Amino acid sequence: MRHIMFTKTRRDLRRRLSQFTAVAITVMLGVTLFIASYDAYLNLSASYERTYSRLHFADLTATAPDARPLAARAEDLSGVAAVTTRTQADVPLDITGQKLQGRVVGLPDDAEAPAVNQVEITAGRTPAAGDSNGAVLEQHAARTFGLRPGDTVRAYDGSGWRTLTVRGIAVSPEYLWPARDRQEVLADPHSFAVLYVPETTARALAGTSAPNQALVRFTPDTGDKDGTRATSALRAAGAVHVQPRADQPSNSALGEDLKGFSELAVAFPLLFLSAAGVAAYILITRLVLAERRIIGTLLAAGAHRGAVVRHYLAHAVIATTAGAVAGVVLGAVATSAVTRAYTSALDIPDTVVGRHVPTSLLGLLFGLVVGLVAGGAPALAAARTAPAEAMRGDGSRTPRPGPIARLLARARRLPVGWRMALRDLGRSRRRTVATMSGAVLALVLVLTSVGMLTSMRAMISRQFDQVQRQDATVTAAAGTEDLAARLRAAQGVTSVEPSVTLPVTVSSAHGSYSTSLTGYRPDTQMHRFLRADGVAQQLPAHGVLAGAALADRLDVSTGDRITLTGPDGRARQVTLAGFVHEPMGTVLYGSVDTVRTVTGAQPDTYLLRFADGADRAHLRTQITGLDGVVAYTDAQALRDQVDRYLNLFWIFIGAMLVLGGALAFTVIYVTMTVNVAERTGELATLRAAGVPLRRVAGVLATENLTATLLAVPAGLAAGAATAWAFLQSFNSDLFTMQLSLGWPALLLAAVSVVAAAAVSQLPALRAVGRLDIARVVRERAQ
Amino acid sequence: METTPEDRGGVRLRGVSKTYGTAEAPVHALRGVDLDIEPGELVVVLGPSGSGKTTLLNLIGGIESADAGRLTVAGEELTERQPARLADFRRQHIGFVFQFFNLVPTLTARENVEVIVELTGRGDRRRAAELLTAVGLSDRMDHFPAQLSGGQQQRVAIARALVTDPDLLLADEPTGALDTATGRAILELVQRSNREGRTVLMVTHNAGIAAMAHRVVHMRDGRVESVERQSVPADAAAVTW
Repeated sequence: MRHIMFTKTRRDLRRRLSQFTAVAITVMLGVTLFIASYDAYLNLSASYERTYSRLHFADLTATAPDARPLAARAEDLSGVAAVTTRTQADVPLDITGQKLQGRVVGLPDDAEAPAVNQVEITAGRTPAAGDSNGAVLEQHAARTFGLRPGDTVRAYDGSGWRTLTVRGIAVSPEYLWPARDRQEVLADPHSFAVLYVPETTARALAGTSAPNQALVRFTPDTGDKDGTRATSALRAAGAVHVQPRADQPSNSALGEDLKGFSELAVAFPLLFLSAAGVAAYILITRLVLAERRIIGTLLAAGAHRGAVVRHYLAHAVIATTAGAVAGVVLGAVATSAVTRAYTSALDIPDTVVGRHVPTSLLGLLFGLVVGLVAGGAPALAAARTAPAEAMRGDGSRTPRPGPIARLLARARRLPVGWRMALRDLGRSRRRTVATMSGAVLALVLVLTSVGMLTSMRAMISRQFDQVQRQDATVTAAAGTEDLAARLRAAQGVTSVEPSVTLPVTVSSAHGSYSTSLTGYRPDTQMHRFLRADGVAQQLPAHGVLAGAALADRLDVSTGDRITLTGPDGRARQVTLAGFVHEPMGTVLYGSVDTVRTVTGAQPDTYLLRFADGADRAHLRTQITGLDGVVAYTDAQALRDQVDRYLNLFWIFIGAMLVLGGALAFTVIYVTMTVNVAERTGELATLRAAGVPLRRVAGVLATENLTATLLAVPAGLAAGAATAWAFLQSFNSDLFTMQLSLGWPALLLAAVSVVAAAAVSQLPALRAVGRLDIARVVRERAQ
Repeated sequence: METTPEDRGGVRLRGVSKTYGTAEAPVHALRGVDLDIEPGELVVVLGPSGSGKTTLLNLIGGIESADAGRLTVAGEELTERQPARLADFRRQHIGFVFQFFNLVPTLTARENVEVIVELTGRGDRRRAAELLTAVGLSDRMDHFPAQLSGGQQQRVAIARALVTDPDLLLADEPTGALDTATGRAILELVQRSNREGRTVLMVTHNAGIAAMAHRVVHMRDGRVESVERQSVPADAAAVTW
């Protein structure tokens, strides 16, 4: 019985096909983005989890000089599925002539797979039992250095280089993202490599007689309480540090990445859906306005108000739901592509591509809600139409002139075209607000994307230009003499400072945190210790400085006494002298003397500064050739590596810029065409009076571009605020990003959106050009 | 006039007033109007622009409420009725014809009539075709408004007004947008509807049309200036203006 109104809806949609299609496409983009990113987030989580499950990734990693008592204790705990011990040590490696700080990890001597933290061999095999010089190279290093089974590498055992033969290449759940530790999540692949060797070989290289790690894996049904209980038990058994899976560097880095995905999955679609909502609202409002007399007639005939509401609501809901359905389909396709591209780029061995019905339903719900919200207000307004009033005028009562209109009336020197355009801004405030909303939303999208890039660049600049000022780090073999002098003598080296870095566990009454402690000369030129206000502070004579994130992690403040436990397992108390605000990592700093006093460690590394324009490749070759140099890290290489990551990010930014422009175009296009449609009679009258098309176009363009320009300040502010909030969600102990946009980014964003607004005038102006003046004027006369 | 349930098309106004505008600049559209319309009468309200005739029509049709006075239409007391109950009243008793046809441009002639049945839940959709045939549009039923002349569109509007079989047909300048010949054809339809027993109240500023009425109400400045009874109303076909 209700099909005639539906027929009308169908025909209305067809009559305004391009505008409703624009709304549907915007919803489609929003829902596609939502499903592609949210399902990809779920798929990636599932992919990582499958790899973790298959390779028995550890739930807890406990460290102690001798981990065997820890393992024995863990085996008695409830919920523990498997326990194993192994040796892990950071040792210098020489791979294809490049000396770097590597890591050796023990595998069972009997060549059996370990019960926890297995590796998956992708080429070759594991060393056979008794093959003490065989090794398995982690896949990232194998690819970076182009190594295959049969090639050799050298590992430094503290007294000399030992040659190992690569038997196989492997994927490890611990190094899906090749992070040395939580403080170096982004690393130059040429400065870090992981080598799996038989346990006996690992101990020999580390110079220890006992395994230093106990790995614990829980049964699937183990709860948080059991995990907490196990952690306490391991600490009580002598663990220096117990690292839960969530804090494991690779998993943590991937987790941050996933978190970003889930943020994107909500934030960007929200912008598109908001834009679609604005466009749909304008469209339905326009439709209601155009049909005001018809609505009045229907209501005068006794039509039920509910039927009128449902009718106009249906227009918006059909358009947005159609967009949502298309978005669900496209999203399903994109999800698969995004997931596969991601797991392929990261070399994740397992790829789980699932279609998640709740995500699709949520996408459809988004479309429905946008339609209901956007169509709701004009539909209710339609139902509240007073029939008598609707019959009285031409559908839009002449509003009283506002203050702007009155002011413009006095501005007689201003051309009439300008005055008309500017008055129109106030005449249809809803349309003006909608145009401005479109511009604001587009700016938010663009600035959020650009803000991520510029802030990351600023973060890198702050880290490498202001904080970390050495050009290279050289690790010396124990007992090496005169290395500092020989380094200074190298052509291109301008300064050399001794330093020492060692892994420590810092603990307070509220928990522990695994990080590193680095000692510098008190008057070091290699590192600046920045406070929150950006001012550098001196390295304290006593006590240590800590990364600001530690304050929250351990609930500590300046002046507190904290406990440091070094690799030897001895705990020492030290004063927390202050905090540093650095973009990357959360580490401890002290003077070389303080580090020596607290841990007994002697400087074993040298920090180097190069002359401007120095040949870095030549210096690397020259310095790594010096006797006693066992590892070399080029700071610029890390910076270059980060830049490479950011270059990939440009693709994302480019896509967001295009989408932001499209978003601005959609909203502004709809408001422009509605603007023209609402004023058909007025524009036709102008044309009939002989006003040239370009003048009419000029008035319209002036009006719309003025509205867009008026929105720019609000859009820039909203965009900056959104970008800031977005960056905050990424901040952790791994990264601390501050919003850094800079005027070029703001200018570029503003110009992009105004350009999109200018381009979106064209279809509306074509419509003006096609006006059948006689017909329009005749219709108005009726 | 005492109304009874049988007097379904009758109208009684006592001291009805209506004011628009603001307190500073009030516009008194009606000032204490008293008027009775007998069931089955065809009454024409004449008056210049601003005399209050359209307001009178709107109050009787229940699309506006009076500020003061008592108003009984088709046996129902409309004074102080809530908008929702006014809608019920219109559904049951009133058919409107406006100067501008207000047809839905995306619906055919037949659909424009049927949609009222659909939206009000009154009447029979099959009657739409009968009515369109009765107004001479049997061969134009599936045409869209843009494919119809002004007179044809107004015929559709009349068929739309009659599809719920109202007791009272209210017409506001139904010929205002039409040429004389077409307007006369429309008036014939209105008169036919009256002769079928329906009460008709027609508002116009065109004195010639008044010849077809049983009574002519002259209005000026919101007041009923005079009421003129015509013992032998003219045929609409003979009306000239």
